Amino acid sequence: MRGLGKWSSKWWPGTIPLAVLWALAAWTSTSPFETELAGRSTAALKTVLLDKSRVAVSGRDVTLAADAFSEEGRHSAIAAIEAVPGVRLVNDETRLIPEASPFVWSAERDVVRVTLTGSSPMPATKAKLLDAARADLGGVEVVDQTHLARGAPPGFDEAALLLLAQIPKLKDGKITITDTKVGLSGMARELGGRETIAAALKNLPAGFSVAANDIKAPPYIFQAYKDPVALKLTLSGNVPDNTARGAIVAAAGRKFFNEKVVDSLNISLGAPSAFTNAVTPALGALSRLSTGTLVVTDREVKLSGDALYDAAPAQLRANLVKDLPQGWRLKADVSVKPAAAPVDATVCQQLFSELLGKGTIRFESGRSSLDPDSAGLLDHLVETALRCPTANIEVAGYTDSDGDSAANQALSEKRAQAVVDYLVKAGLPASRFTAVGYGSTQPIAANDSEEGKARNRRIEFIVKERP
Amino acid sequence: MIFLATFHWGWLLATLLLGFAMGWIAVVHRGHGVSKPLARWLALLVAALLAAALTRAVPGRPGYWLDLGLLMFGLYLIGCLIGSCLRNWVLPGPADAS
Repeated sequence: MRGLGKWSSKWWPGTIPLAVLWALAAWTSTSPFETELAGRSTAALKTVLLDKSRVAVSGRDVTLAADAFSEEGRHSAIAAIEAVPGVRLVNDETRLIPEASPFVWSAERDVVRVTLTGSSPMPATKAKLLDAARADLGGVEVVDQTHLARGAPPGFDEAALLLLAQIPKLKDGKITITDTKVGLSGMARELGGRETIAAALKNLPAGFSVAANDIKAPPYIFQAYKDPVALKLTLSGNVPDNTARGAIVAAAGRKFFNEKVVDSLNISLGAPSAFTNAVTPALGALSRLSTGTLVVTDREVKLSGDALYDAAPAQLRANLVKDLPQGWRLKADVSVKPAAAPVDATVCQQLFSELLGKGTIRFESGRSSLDPDSAGLLDHLVETALRCPTANIEVAGYTDSDGDSAANQALSEKRAQAVVDYLVKAGLPASRFTAVGYGSTQPIAANDSEEGKARNRRIEFIVKERP
Repeated sequence: MIFLATFHWGWLLATLLLGFAMGWIAVVHRGHGVSKPLARWLALLVAALLAAALTRAVPGRPGYWLDLGLLMFGLYLIGCLIGSCLRNWVLPGPADAS
């Protein structure tokens, strides 16, 4: 061992082939070595959430450029690469993705496509929302223009998914989340779409609220057409539910004494508020026309047709304006039907009897106020009275046998007078009419059944030739 | 370092064998050795390179080549040592005689 110093001084010649070996090793192994390290580093980053990550290896040094979603994410990415065997140094070129404030995300639908814009919190969320949009819309092109950003409110994914599910219900429009505020605008695809969307918005995650819901729906239309030739009243369009349908058809049955009611209504959500309360008086106005059309579009009532006498258009317009619920508008385009040819007293009596045979003048129970449902019948009586200007007419009131006979007598007189007042208000001279009450003294049916009593409660028109 | 060694095992084995051969020969080599002052300077150089490698002062590929070179040099020296000792132990005569 004493010769070690001497031997070692003679080891130097081997360094020449050693240098050659080293050069060869460096020449051939650098590239595969770097590739190996790059592969291992990339694999180590699999569990770390990064965007746009790029690994570059030079020798044993790894440069990591990436967008991280948190400081913690940055640190764990660097630590993961440092732990890769063979890595000497890690150059940290990561950065946090920018924070969006306010955090805005939106989905816009137009005729051909749905475009997602704004910020998305994570690549996973971005992909999830895009997939959900494609699944919801089946076939419609979806374009994702969102970029990643920090600052999404908690519950964002859930809220965005819920809102995306509303997009198919829109014909066009835009849904936007601004921090925790949700804004919607556009046009619903179908009647009731607006209501369905409003109902779905109630399930937004806690913390989210609707700042503006400006979704419009296609117009809600109800129509009624009175055809005097076919003696038909055709109801078409939409009603909100079966109750409203029943109420409207029943009201039509009471108001149109001479027409058959044809029900072609559809039930559909999205009716304006107080729909039935608006349609019922509007049908009453239509019943006073000889021929006419009623179109209810959202909160606008459009009535057109021919009234039966000169004073009627102003009257029915004034009554309808009064009866329509607040917020409803009336557009009345009512003219007056040309006067029918005069007839003699006999024909006049016949016409009165015919009319009163088809319908009954109704009053409020126990009182002398005319039931608005009888306005149509009364107007037809007015029209007939106008056709026999030379005849005097006795308007006779009758009651059933219920109650005190003196009270019945008084009631029958008052009711007959109420009818005369209506005729006078329609423009007929008061001198032609006499109101007479007969109480329960002249029944035309037995008073032992409800049906019989109803027949006995009546008004009759008796035509008398002027002396 | 272990990863470096396993990745380059072929080259390192060759280095070790080279060292072993040189060490074996060195015992009976009649040529001039490295003078003491030069040896000192060389040792200083190696120490400086080692320090540069340990402090990771050389970046990128040159740093990798430095690490590889030092690893190979170290193994060469170990090879030489084993070669010389073994030769001396197996055939002590001629070495001592020279």
